[in-house]
Formats: sequence, structure tokens, C-alpha cells
Amino acid sequence: MSGSSKVIENAICTFCGCVCDDIELTVDSGGKYITQAKNACVLGKSWFLEHKVEDFPVALIDGKEASLEEAVEAAAQVFVNAKFPTIYGLSDTTCEAQKEAVAIADYLNGNIDTTTSVCHGPTGMAFQGVGESTASLGEIKNRADFVMYWGGNPAEAHPRHFERYAVNPKSHWLPNGKEDRTIAMVDIRPTQSSMIADIFLQIKPGSDFELLWAMRALVKGRAFDRSVEERTGISLDRLEALVQQMKDCQFGVLFFGMGLTMTRGRHFNAGALLQLVTDLNDFTHFVSLPTRGHGNVTGADNVVSWQTGYPFGVNFNRGYPRFNPGEFTTADVLGRGEADALCVIASDPGSNFSAKAIEHIKSIPVITLDPKPTVTSQHAKVAFTTATYGINVPGTVYRMDNVPLSLRPAFDSPFPSDEMVLRAIKERICELRGITSNHKPVAA
Amino acid sequence: MKLSLHTLPTVPLEAEVICPDKFIGNSLDAISAMTVMHGNQACSLADFFTLTDDGLETIEVDGDLSKVKLIGSEMTQGKIIIKGSVGAHLGALMTGGEILVTGNAEDWVGREISGGRIVIKGDAGHLVGSGVRGSDTGIQGGEIIIHGNAKNEVGNGMRRGLIVIGGNSGDFTGVNMKAGTIMVLGQLGQRPGASMVRGTIFSTQSAQLLPTFTYNTTYKPTFLKRYLIYIKKLGFTIDDAYLNGKYQSWSGDSLELNKGEILLFAE
Ligand code: SF4
Repeated sequence: MSGSSKVIENAICTFCGCVCDDIELTVDSGGKYITQAKNACVLGKSWFLEHKVEDFPVALIDGKEASLEEAVEAAAQVFVNAKFPTIYGLSDTTCEAQKEAVAIADYLNGNIDTTTSVCHGPTGMAFQGVGESTASLGEIKNRADFVMYWGGNPAEAHPRHFERYAVNPKSHWLPNGKEDRTIAMVDIRPTQSSMIADIFLQIKPGSDFELLWAMRALVKGRAFDRSVEERTGISLDRLEALVQQMKDCQFGVLFFGMGLTMTRGRHFNAGALLQLVTDLNDFTHFVSLPTRGHGNVTGADNVVSWQTGYPFGVNFNRGYPRFNPGEFTTADVLGRGEADALCVIASDPGSNFSAKAIEHIKSIPVITLDPKPTVTSQHAKVAFTTATYGINVPGTVYRMDNVPLSLRPAFDSPFPSDEMVLRAIKERICELRGITSNHKPVAA
Repeated sequence: MKLSLHTLPTVPLEAEVICPDKFIGNSLDAISAMTVMHGNQACSLADFFTLTDDGLETIEVDGDLSKVKLIGSEMTQGKIIIKGSVGAHLGALMTGGEILVTGNAEDWVGREISGGRIVIKGDAGHLVGSGVRGSDTGIQGGEIIIHGNAKNEVGNGMRRGLIVIGGNSGDFTGVNMKAGTIMVLGQLGQRPGASMVRGTIFSTQSAQLLPTFTYNTTYKPTFLKRYLIYIKKLGFTIDDAYLNGKYQSWSGDSLELNKGEILLFAE
């Protein structure tokens, strides 16, 4: 393609969970970087435009340059010698790579977990406990006349969520776009998002559960104590009016973010919101959807679920999958000093986990796969540089509403994809363990 | 039978074989060769423990067992004494017998038990007497007695039985409770009894309750005095003021049946 620049239409941005699939990318004539990313928001633009293929070594073993083959061998050795190997990350890579990672955990009888455990893990637990009434963003865009955001700031975290899916789009059922919708926000402080809301409830920090509980009581017509006004900072009159509006809408949606799932109460907060949505379905059609952060974290949930039966925090020590957040989630496994090897794919626990967990990371062999050096990779026994998904690597990603989309990469990278590296490690593990068919030996 | 830990496990050790039901009728050699899972590796009990047959049916285990999980799981009879601290899932699915721990216990003490008694002299982790994730039923009988503090979700989904916490309990004590009794001699954490259907939660301290709990009355519940005398016999110090005092009675959770009660010491 040298000589003229290349244009990729309908490319996909994987920077956030919106996974916008209408980006028009222009690639420089040398095919090495992107010069324009039409339709992308500011986050998406910097994701595309700042992407350069750097001159990193393809792999490092103990900080020294190594070939891909040597690094694959070293990584496989780390894995087969571990008693409690833990695989973590996976939210910023393709579903194809995620699948290979689950296979490795399965062959090794190891532990696998994704960044879901530190963002919407409580939501996953609440889905299991309460259930989920949901819809695709397409359905929401076309039909939802009451849109509520709880504990999130999409204007800054998912900049095109309003414009593409939930607030501004005009549709057959909502011909006037935003004017036909009621937008409500619940947060502990005003944000850029709350500025566009028709209704904004600024609640006292840590009172989400009480507010949701009072709203459930109002919806169901059950007795409750007025002290909730003081506890949450929201007057009963306002709450009653809001609940009435929710009951009266044609199609309501409740989006929720980490402001709800990662504050005290966690999975009970998410569960209370899902129960409120269930209660509202006695009166009208109401759905809920977590606003997921990383590009393909929803894919990680889907892949780990379809292969193991559980979305995250899965352990294969005994040869079959077991799910237990708190016991098998990476932050806890590392914090208690339980893992004896760690493989991190496209994440950086070395910079954002607890001090105890980071201390443990430094004491065990670590394998990292990332397009760029990270704090974790600095401590790695084996560090791979991999190509960036979406920009250099094709594959499948899931949008936050569980809709799969095929990536349209812009140009090639000299580095291998996560999928290639993981598959090579998997095959070497199978050789070392003497696994020849697709069936692993029966576990002890 | 005496077990003494000689090698500290480097990763979690799953040792459900440490259970009277598994030991009874087996020779020392057979017991020593029983399988424990050290992470993903199958090992024998003797790889970690020195076993001595003292002719007694009671199993005595000592050493730092904080990475040893599932001791006494599915136990139906006999007694286990743990001298020190113990790992997660102690006495899971137990139906009879007794477990005594002199130190602390990790999460999931007495998960889904339906009989027997577990006594922890120190503190316990999260989810004491709860059901596994995805199940709506916790313990269905038996007694779990924690002398120290317990963390969140004590008795999640509990259907029958007694849980006593000598110190404070964490958030969501008695969440999803169907029946049974939880007695907390210290402070209840946030949001006790959320979604409770029936059952009793008691505390000697005042607590902030959810809006869906309503105040009934202040009275002297006769049964409570019996319960307090009972747990006094188990080794707790109970102030006379609590034995003879009045208690506020609250009903909830109104989002469910509203037949649960929370009793808080008043005067
Ligand atoms: S909203 Fe998210 S997916 Fe869409 S362009 Fe912006 S960063 Fe990319």
C-alpha cells in the first residue's frame, strides 16, 4: 500500500466498552501509523492516533532479550512447574486469545480470572443471585424513553454512549431523540454526565443500597421508614415522583457503573438494582445493563462463561471448574500469597493491586503479554511484546451489551498476537505434559 | 489420632480427608497415604503431617493451618480439635460431630451445615454459615459459635440453626435469612437482615437498620433469656443487664414476608 494512504471504513474502537463500530481510519502511506480517526471521541482518537509500532524486543527473559521460541519455552516451563498457576487480565484482547488462556488454565489445572473481578465482578455475582433482564443497545436506542444512569459518568468514561445509544439518537419510536426521553442520574456528586440529566439525584456517599431498597418498597407498595430521607439526602416527595415516572414509562433502562458495584455493599448493591428492575417489570418493560469499561471485558465474561460455566474467578485445581469470588479471584489469591506463578495478559496488577499482592507478585515467576512495558512486566520472568488488538490484530470483541463484533485492523505489526503466543505456550504445555488429544488426562 | 504439620503448604492445601468419618476403621498407614490436593498436585497426608495414633477417635491437628482448607468437610460424627488457625471451608456440609478451633478461621466456616457444632475461639472470616454462591440456602441446622469477630454475610440464606458471634459481625449479617437465630454480642455491621424472610437476629448494641424494617415494641422476650443462659454455658460472659433487659423488636424485611425480627438491647 506504499504511496497512498489507506482508508478503513467501519473500523472498531476497542478503547471502551461502547466498542463503536463506525470509525473511519486513515493509515499513513508507509502503513505504520494512523493519521485520522473519523467519528471517534477524544479517547478513541488518542487510542488510534497515539498508537505507534515501537521498537521493543519481542520477548525478554529475566530482562534479557530473547527469541519468541525461547520465551515460549520459558513460559511453558514456568507453567508446568507451578502448583497454583494463575492467569489474569484478558479484558483488552480478542475472544480468540481469551479462549486460548482458558484452555491453558484447564490443561494446567490452574486458576483463571479476568479484570471483571475488580470492576463488575459484583454484577456477575448479582446476575447469578438475582438474574438479569436486559436488552441490546440497539433496542435501547430505538425504544427506551426512560434512561437512568446509576454510579457512572459516561460523558467522560464512555463519551459516545449518549450520542450513539441512549440519549440523543432519533428513532422510529423516539422521533425527537433526547426530547422524547427522560434522563435520570444518580451519583454522589455532580459530573459532566449529570449536567445533561432531566433528573439528578445527588445521594450521600454509601447510601445506594438504602435508596434502592426504598425505591423497591415504593414500587411494591410496602412499608418503609422515613429515615431514608436523612440517610440518603433525597426527599420522599422526589423519590415518589421518580418511581411513578419509572412505572409510567414505556421502556425503561437502568445503566450502572462502578460507583455502585465497587462501593461498600458491592454485589448486594448490584443485586438491589437488578431486583428493582425485576419489580418494575410488574408495571412496565424495564431492563438493566452494566456500563463496562475495557474494550473486551464483556468478551472475557462470555468466553470464560461458555468454556467453564462461570464468568471469572474460576479454579481448575481439581480438574473441574469451581467459581468462588474472594477465594479464586486474583487480587485475593495474590493478597493471601497463594499463587506460585502468574500470567498477566493485557493488564497491570503490579501498579493497581494492594501492597501485599504486589509484594507477592515480586516473589513469584510472572509471565506478561502486553503491547508495551508495564510495571508488572518489569518484574516478569518472561515478558512478551504483542500486537495491539483492533489496530493490528483481527478477531472478535463483545460490546457491553453482549453483542459480538469483528475487528477491522488498520495495519500489520511485527509482533505476534496474544492468541499466537498463548496458543504456542498451550501447545508446548501439552507436549511437556504428554497431552496428545483434545482430552486432558483425568485429574487426581 | 494426632496430626502435626511438618511442612508448610506453599499454595492452598485441600484436606477434606481430615475428618473422623474418613479415618474410622483405617490403619495409620492407610490414613497417612490419603490424598490431599496441594494446588493442582495430588499428595499424601504424610507429605505434610506427622501422624501419631494415640488410640483416640478424636482428631487433634496442630500447626499453622491457615492455608489448609475443607477440614472436617461432610463430617457426620466424632470430634476434631485444631490447635491454631485454620483455612477456608472448615466443616463444610457437616451434619454431625464437633469441631473446635483454638485460633482464627478463614472464610466460609460451616458452609451449608445441617447439624453438629463448630466452635472458633478466635475470629472468623466472611460468610460464616452461608450457602455457596448461586444457592439461596445457607445452614439448615447445627451450631456455629465464634468467640471473636466475624466478617460480612454471617448466615447468608440461613434456614435453621444457631450462629453466635461473641464480638462484632460484619455487613449484611443474616442477609436472605429464611429462619434460625443469629446472636451477635457485639455490634452488627451495616444492613443486617436485608431480604430476610423469617428468623431472628439479636444484638446487645443498637444498630442502624434498613428503611424496610419497622419498629414494633420494646419488651422482655422470654426465649431470649433461655438462649443467653445457654450460650453463657458455652463459655461466654453475659452481663446480667442483658439477661434481664428489655429489647426493641423490629420487623422486616418488608420487601419479603416481613416476618423476620431484629432484637436490639434497649435498657
Ligand atoms: S466511546 Fe469508547 S469505543 Fe466509542 S470511540 Fe470513544 S473510546 Fe472508542
